Amino acid sequence: MSKLVGAVAIAGGGIAGIQSAIDLASSGLKVYLIESSTTIGGKMAQLDKTFPTLDCSMCTLSPKLAEVARHPNIELMTYSEITGITGEPGDFTVTVKNKATYVDYDKCTACELCVSKCPVKVPDEYNEGQNNRKAIYLAFPQAVPRVFTIDADHCLYLNKGKCGNCQKACENDAINFEDTDKEVDINVGSVILNTGFEPYDASNLEQYRIDHPNVVSSLEFERQLSSSGPFEGHVTLADGSHPRRIAWIQCVGSRSPEIGRNTCSSVCCMYATKEAMVAMEHDLDLETTIFNIDIRAFGKGFEEFYQKAKNEKGIRFINSRPSGVEVDPVTDNISLKYEAEDGSGIKREEFDMIVLSIGLTPSDSSKNLAKIAGVEMDDNDFVKTKIDHPLETSKPGIFVCGAMQAPKDIPDTVADASGAASKAASLLSSERGNLVTEKKYPPEKDMGDEIRTGVVVCRCGINIGNIVDVPDVVEYAKTLPHVVLAKEEVYACSTDSLEGIADLVREHNLNHMVVASCTPRTHEPLFRETLMEAGLNPYLFELANIREHCSWVHQNNKEEATKKAKDIIRMSVSRANLLQPLYQEKLEFNKDALVIGGGIAGMNAALDIAEKGFKVTLLEKESELGGMLLKFTHLQDGRTTKEVLEPIIQKVESNPNITVHIETELTEQEGSMGNFKGHIKGANVDEDIEFGVAIIATGANELEPEGYFSYGEYSNIITESQLEQKLDEGVDAKNVVFIQCAGGRNDERPYCSRACCTVAMKNAIRLKESDPDRNVTILYRDIRTFGVWEELYTKARELGVVFMRYTEDKEPEVSEKTVRIFDHLMNMDFEINYDLMVLSAPMVTPETNELLAPMFKVTLDANRFFLEAHIKLRPVECATDGVFLAGTSQAPKLVDESVSQASAAASRACTILSRDFLETIGNVSVVDPELCIGCGRCTLVCPYNAPELKEVTVETEEIVYITKKSEINPAVCKGCGCCAAECPTGAITARHFTTPQIMAVIKAYGEGI
Amino acid sequence: MNNVYRTSSDDIWNCLTCGLCYDGCPQGVDYPEFIKEVRDSNENGDIAHKGVFNLITDLMVDLDESKTSLDEVGNNDSKIGYYPGCLDFHDMFFELDVDFKSIADSSMKLLKSIDQDPKLMQMKCCGHDQLWQGDKGTFEKLKEQNTRIIKESGIEKLVTSCAECYRTLSQDYDLPIEVVHISQVLKDADLGIDSGTKVTYHDACRLGRHMGEYDAPRDALASAGSEVVEMKHNKNDAWCCGVSSLMNCDDKSKALRKARLDEARDVDAQVLITTCPKCLAHLNCMKDEQESVEQYDYDIKDLTVFLAEQMGGK
Repeated sequence: MSKLVGAVAIAGGGIAGIQSAIDLASSGLKVYLIESSTTIGGKMAQLDKTFPTLDCSMCTLSPKLAEVARHPNIELMTYSEITGITGEPGDFTVTVKNKATYVDYDKCTACELCVSKCPVKVPDEYNEGQNNRKAIYLAFPQAVPRVFTIDADHCLYLNKGKCGNCQKACENDAINFEDTDKEVDINVGSVILNTGFEPYDASNLEQYRIDHPNVVSSLEFERQLSSSGPFEGHVTLADGSHPRRIAWIQCVGSRSPEIGRNTCSSVCCMYATKEAMVAMEHDLDLETTIFNIDIRAFGKGFEEFYQKAKNEKGIRFINSRPSGVEVDPVTDNISLKYEAEDGSGIKREEFDMIVLSIGLTPSDSSKNLAKIAGVEMDDNDFVKTKIDHPLETSKPGIFVCGAMQAPKDIPDTVADASGAASKAASLLSSERGNLVTEKKYPPEKDMGDEIRTGVVVCRCGINIGNIVDVPDVVEYAKTLPHVVLAKEEVYACSTDSLEGIADLVREHNLNHMVVASCTPRTHEPLFRETLMEAGLNPYLFELANIREHCSWVHQNNKEEATKKAKDIIRMSVSRANLLQPLYQEKLEFNKDALVIGGGIAGMNAALDIAEKGFKVTLLEKESELGGMLLKFTHLQDGRTTKEVLEPIIQKVESNPNITVHIETELTEQEGSMGNFKGHIKGANVDEDIEFGVAIIATGANELEPEGYFSYGEYSNIITESQLEQKLDEGVDAKNVVFIQCAGGRNDERPYCSRACCTVAMKNAIRLKESDPDRNVTILYRDIRTFGVWEELYTKARELGVVFMRYTEDKEPEVSEKTVRIFDHLMNMDFEINYDLMVLSAPMVTPETNELLAPMFKVTLDANRFFLEAHIKLRPVECATDGVFLAGTSQAPKLVDESVSQASAAASRACTILSRDFLETIGNVSVVDPELCIGCGRCTLVCPYNAPELKEVTVETEEIVYITKKSEINPAVCKGCGCCAAECPTGAITARHFTTPQIMAVIKAYGEGI
Repeated sequence: MNNVYRTSSDDIWNCLTCGLCYDGCPQGVDYPEFIKEVRDSNENGDIAHKGVFNLITDLMVDLDESKTSLDEVGNNDSKIGYYPGCLDFHDMFFELDVDFKSIADSSMKLLKSIDQDPKLMQMKCCGHDQLWQGDKGTFEKLKEQNTRIIKESGIEKLVTSCAECYRTLSQDYDLPIEVVHISQVLKDADLGIDSGTKVTYHDACRLGRHMGEYDAPRDALASAGSEVVEMKHNKNDAWCCGVSSLMNCDDKSKALRKARLDEARDVDAQVLITTCPKCLAHLNCMKDEQESVEQYDYDIKDLTVFLAEQMGGK
């Protein structure tokens, strides 16, 4: 590698691209985020809620969108496509075609004036074509970049030369009909491919009758559920009424080798369950039915979610796959035929609405991009990777993640994305910081003694200006205390207005500033930056939201809206007058990492961190590295675990940045991110250790299924790992029976262990291949060979492995040589002889977890796995800053997932280690030690573990005593103010929301009534 | 203890108004009364719990009625009234392992057991804290409303379980009826208890130094068979719990709590008894700290709760 460029091109601006971009940009690399549509956000932006927590999808996503928009190291290239990639690792040239948008993005303020004037209606892609948008459009309100684009395919002016209404309506001169496509070359060191998936087009399968208006795809249904969707959240039939009975058909375009769709799409069972649950929340009388082959609730919290849906919410799950939708030629009613589970034969049932659970397929553009990048694809058109290298494509320097590699859900995609970022960052670690520039601001001016507040009232075009009497409001603002200047702007956020605001601050010597416009979510950073450019501390800015909170919601009452705008501004001014400059603090910190657990996850995490130049201590409590994989002999791709483990162990042991301690455990631990202090004790070591970040990779163990299916009673009943050891020696059993979920998915361990079905499939295939005459039977509840591993299930069936389903209320009865199973479809008992029985037992957590969790102040979930900070978007982080999770310590996983997650944890950890300093936020909460009585309530409410009780001696004249007092760690505090609200004595102040500031706002409100 | 109490400061808000100065002042100046008067209409100092109790009281003034519901049912025709004070709000806002409302239920139960079947008085807050925080305006409104409720109720005697209510209704109201603290009713009552528990009694300043009642709680405990041991500071020189009228909670006043809890530990009591819910809250607050430096193995209970528990199902 002759040259290394400290920049990365990321293809695809969905949640994967967003996460990779944030990780890389935060590690000091320049990022080009290239997205073909007008906005980043991808498919996640279209989702209403996310399983299994039913969080609002957009609510969790939009802060990430805003973070990308604001990040100085990320260059967004939306409405752009990659047309060429040349060069080699460290030095690629990527050719990007920027499609003409016909709108000058620098001038557009997204005021929407143009929209109402545009006469063209186009089916709205965001709502899956269920309503219309205009030819000039913003994909959705939270879109990033928040600028309008003209759809050249439908614009009247561009196609017929007439209209041009938008140009006339635009007050900012942002419309440019002369715009053309441009091609640019960017020079990067690495490329990450994550263009995601395409929803399966159900019109390919005519039998499912998506042409019928009441048969919808699951994504159409998702939009119907959304309050920002076509029917404002009301599920609606073609005649405008609301359905009473809805059915979902699973696996439409998935698990269908007959149409060349071999894989399981991994997410549909859960999203269908979620959609049914949410629909029932909207309409309590709704009846919902999900027709399925298996319910694949394999992820963290999924099985519990499924059981809740089935047992508490009354969603009907029918284990049958209807062959198609039948439409009555007379009534046009829709119905499904299916095989009843009780053995009573074929039934027909009518539904008002049928939802097709469409799968995740590789998109044409992804296939094309793979071709441009020159990376190999697998037989299912996913980018080819290896189990132990799940993020590396066949081409060095080009990485892949998310659904472009295999169908997967959001947290796995996010983990992949961080993992791919880690791989790119390792390659370019010497170039960190070289291509990024820090913005310089003038020194802060002297505040003086007098409070001089300026108020700018924004018309936001007609958004505010047509409802609120802005000149009247401006005159009113001038009368408020300390206001020395008030004026209006058409668009306060336009570039020239921002410069104008900076000029006002300078000319009128303002030291506090209020802008009355829109939401701080999108606009506060912009105005704060303006203040900094004018030499004012950014915390002296206050935004009054008179659009979302006023003009938009009071369009029909202009007089009251004007009055309310005055109220809001009066309240904001009262607070602004009390605002104080706040400063970020720079703290030195320890840049070493500790990795706990030397399995495949811990080793990969350690390597990824070490490759970026940081020192790592790796602890393993057993006598050799390798973890749970040592107990198994083969991977499901046919390779031996030895083949995979040996090279990585060798790499770990020879890496000069990694110190390995075997038979060693962490015995004590305190401190916080950047400043952890602990003690390690083991075979050859007994010493204190300091580190900045920690990765918990303590793994899991296969349960000894004592007490389940006669395990322990007969020597011919063994577990999967025992079978693998035996298989290497040769198994002569002629009749082998597997029982799945042995000790799992029950009251004691309600979770699904995710990997066991794939492991059983791998072993059943080995048994069959080594002796085709052998009888192999698998007794299962649901076969959960998700994603590409579905092909193993298909192969096992082809090889003659027999599958029989059982339910938890009628478990198989095992005696020494036979097992009795009740078959629901036949409605009768079967007796199967066996020589060898294999139990698929779940992964369970090691006892170490119970010791580590309190040490790091992190939480274990109900199943004693470590709890991540957010189930969807922060899958490898703990709520405690600086502590990360890799592998099965977080939840059961397959090997490739553990490896990918290990890289993800390393990536997240390195976003911290790459910093020069730990920078606090300005508005941290502080404790007044004299008022603190050490009750510790702040420690209970803080979500980040920022307050800590520390021993001090209090001396009064007559009494000297030792007590604990709260101290808030500024490196960890996020300024949320929970502690300040909870503190009984008022000892804690949330610096940007002090009690006097809040009381001033309340008082100012009161002055209006 | 001047510097612990910080009365050496010229800030009128530092005074705990506990009355420890009554005995010390050679001129016999009623210093707490003086403080109360100078505080009137002045901007008050830091009030703990974000002033939430003040907001509740402010709201209460504007409401037509106030209602406390207890497990124990009162007798509406009784000539004896029982006033629980603001115990239910304590339960709402103090995150302590203390069931404040059980003080009211215990009081009702005890009174019933000695055939003083009381009427449960549905009154507003007595206004003690407002009065001592300098908000006489609110206090006067509460006083007027409560006086009317009492007059209309037809009771002839009002029993309180709270030392602050007792002081306020006796001294700062002009009621035409008798006001007593429940310890005074119970001091020679035969509750049929012989507990044998070793207890010590913390004199609440409002009942002790303000009202001169030191013996009744001790007698009530003794007649119920408890062994009452005295802490080093007791009766007229008893130390304060460190917070008065929800003000002055800080590390200096905590020194007082610590000293007080140490004294109770020194005498090896099984239970520390008090007669004021505020003392109960503040002493328990220190005892229940998340990571306490000192360990106190005894319980801290209100007199009525202790006696009612001893009485059990009787």
